Amino acid sequence: MQAVSAALGVVTLALLLAGCGSVPSWPDERSAAAIPALDHGATLSLACSGCHSPAGGAIPSLEHRPAALIRQSLMDYKAEADGTTVMHRMMHGYSEADIDAISTYLARSATP
Amino acid sequence: MTAFAQTRRELVIGMAGIAALADLSPKAAAQMKARLVVVGGGFGGATAARFLKQLLPNASVTLVEPDTDYYACPFSNLVIAGLRELEAQRFGYDGLRARGIDIVHERATDVDPVAHTVTLGSGAMLSYDRLVLSPGVDFIWGAIEGYDEAAAQVMPHAWKAGAQTALLRRQLEAMKDGGLVVMSVPPAPFRCPPGPYERASLIAHYLKTRKPKSRLLILDAQDKFSKQPLFEEAWAHLYPGVIERLGADDFGRVIAVNPAVRTLATDFENVTADVANVIPPQKAGEIAHRAGVADMTGWCPIDPITFGSALQPDIHVLGDATIAAPMPKSAFSANLQAKLCATQIARVLAGLAPEPTVLANTCYSYLSDDAAVSIAGVYTNEGGKLKSVEGAGGLSPSGSDPVIQGNEALQAAAWFRTITEQTFG
Ligand SMILES: Cc1cc2nc3c(=O)[nH]c(=O)nc-3n(C[C@H](O)[C@H](O)[C@H](O)COP(=O)(O)OP(=O)(O)OC[C@H]3O[C@@H](n4cnc5c(N)ncnc54)[C@H](O)[C@@H]3O)c2cc1C
Repeated sequence: MQAVSAALGVVTLALLLAGCGSVPSWPDERSAAAIPALDHGATLSLACSGCHSPAGGAIPSLEHRPAALIRQSLMDYKAEADGTTVMHRMMHGYSEADIDAISTYLARSATP
Repeated sequence: MTAFAQTRRELVIGMAGIAALADLSPKAAAQMKARLVVVGGGFGGATAARFLKQLLPNASVTLVEPDTDYYACPFSNLVIAGLRELEAQRFGYDGLRARGIDIVHERATDVDPVAHTVTLGSGAMLSYDRLVLSPGVDFIWGAIEGYDEAAAQVMPHAWKAGAQTALLRRQLEAMKDGGLVVMSVPPAPFRCPPGPYERASLIAHYLKTRKPKSRLLILDAQDKFSKQPLFEEAWAHLYPGVIERLGADDFGRVIAVNPAVRTLATDFENVTADVANVIPPQKAGEIAHRAGVADMTGWCPIDPITFGSALQPDIHVLGDATIAAPMPKSAFSANLQAKLCATQIARVLAGLAPEPTVLANTCYSYLSDDAAVSIAGVYTNEGGKLKSVEGAGGLSPSGSDPVIQGNEALQAAAWFRTITEQTFG
């Protein structure tokens, strides 16, 4: 939960900054990087949370998995051309860079 | 130091910098307290309200939804077939209220996109900086001659869940064995493309197990349909002789009904049903038309990155009401679009440009009580339109493998739990 609430603080602050008309705002990339909930990996990962919840079960939880592990399984789905699961069919459409960004984000955002 | 801790440190430095600034300008204050109004508390709207509040805790977020109980459509076909209780479809708004969202149980009756106001049924007005509309679909009453709201009490659509779902189930329960059930399917686009065929499968399951002399006729305004090979394979395998389907080429399109005698007319014949389920042609919810965000097609063109209306400034449209093809009109799509829209609104308010991404959809359909199939899609939203990524997505394998289809049924149930939690919190 800590990570989430900290992330929220970041957005609030970013708003504050953006609101100060006369003050030069941060260059784009730097601001984006400073707002974890709004960065590229976070945005890509929004597609995961429709199915994967911390409760786990028939659709596994993604919590507490190191980035390397998440990355490896996503890359495996992508590589297995004759795989039949929903994950295979979806990962065929994601680039390696997307998968990197997703695994990094998911590992970072897990509830401590 | 982790990337996140680093971010944190930069922030603290940023914070010290702010203390030195002069008072916030009125514009800055306004941005911090942005007034965000969401109309429609279904899969799109409830999710949007939740994520807007989460990303922008200082903004005021108001959700306008007339009903205190929301009945989810996904899984409602199981209710019709007697495999699930309607109560399991019911969700409320206490979770969102506890997150600091103002819930207004009224119908939005008008939107003034110039004045940036929403009028409510009571006559009260809400002002917004940004408005999110996710009103779902409305039916085009009268498009099938004789099919109006009164007719729907006799020949239920059950395409908005709740009382209609219960009515169709009661009618099936009351039908004699040997009866004829008729379903009428509208032309695309409509909410949940595979939904009618999931329903046909589950009604066939009910008939086979409870009323084995009965039959199901599908009168279909479409020629081809979603997950067709998988459904047809399952119907032959699980329900031989139970389901007959007439597509558009076989004069399957229903053009008129007569609820007094429960008949459905095509260009070719009149069919008398014991139970008739008429799914009418659809358009974006009425409020989208009032707001001027729907076009001649009856649906709402959007910018696929922000889900901002292509027709009106500062209004976003989500879910079934949008023109988002190839993304289907599904709860999964509405939920993801809402999260993306909230993220892009937060980016814009934070002074960042909206950013393209990769989107996905998964829809499960039950074939029976313990077997399901799925369709998946992956989409990009660059270049002004949503596009399917080639080589990705598609259907579960054919071959009616009970292990694969059993697993997909379990995954479907897990998906329902997660998506409703994600939406209603
Ligand atoms: C039988 C069936 C099965 C389905 N199965 C699946 C499935 O398995 N998977 C899947 O992903 N999708 C499924 N769907 C599709 C899914 O239900 C819809 O795509 C989803 O509900 C769309 O969300 P939405 O926010 O656009 O609309 P809705 O969820 O319909 O929400 C719209 C809300 O807006 C409110 N509203 C309308 N007008 C106003 C107004 N003027 N003022 C205030 N509030 C207003 C309504 O009361 C409603 O609560 C199914 C649909 C059906 C019919």
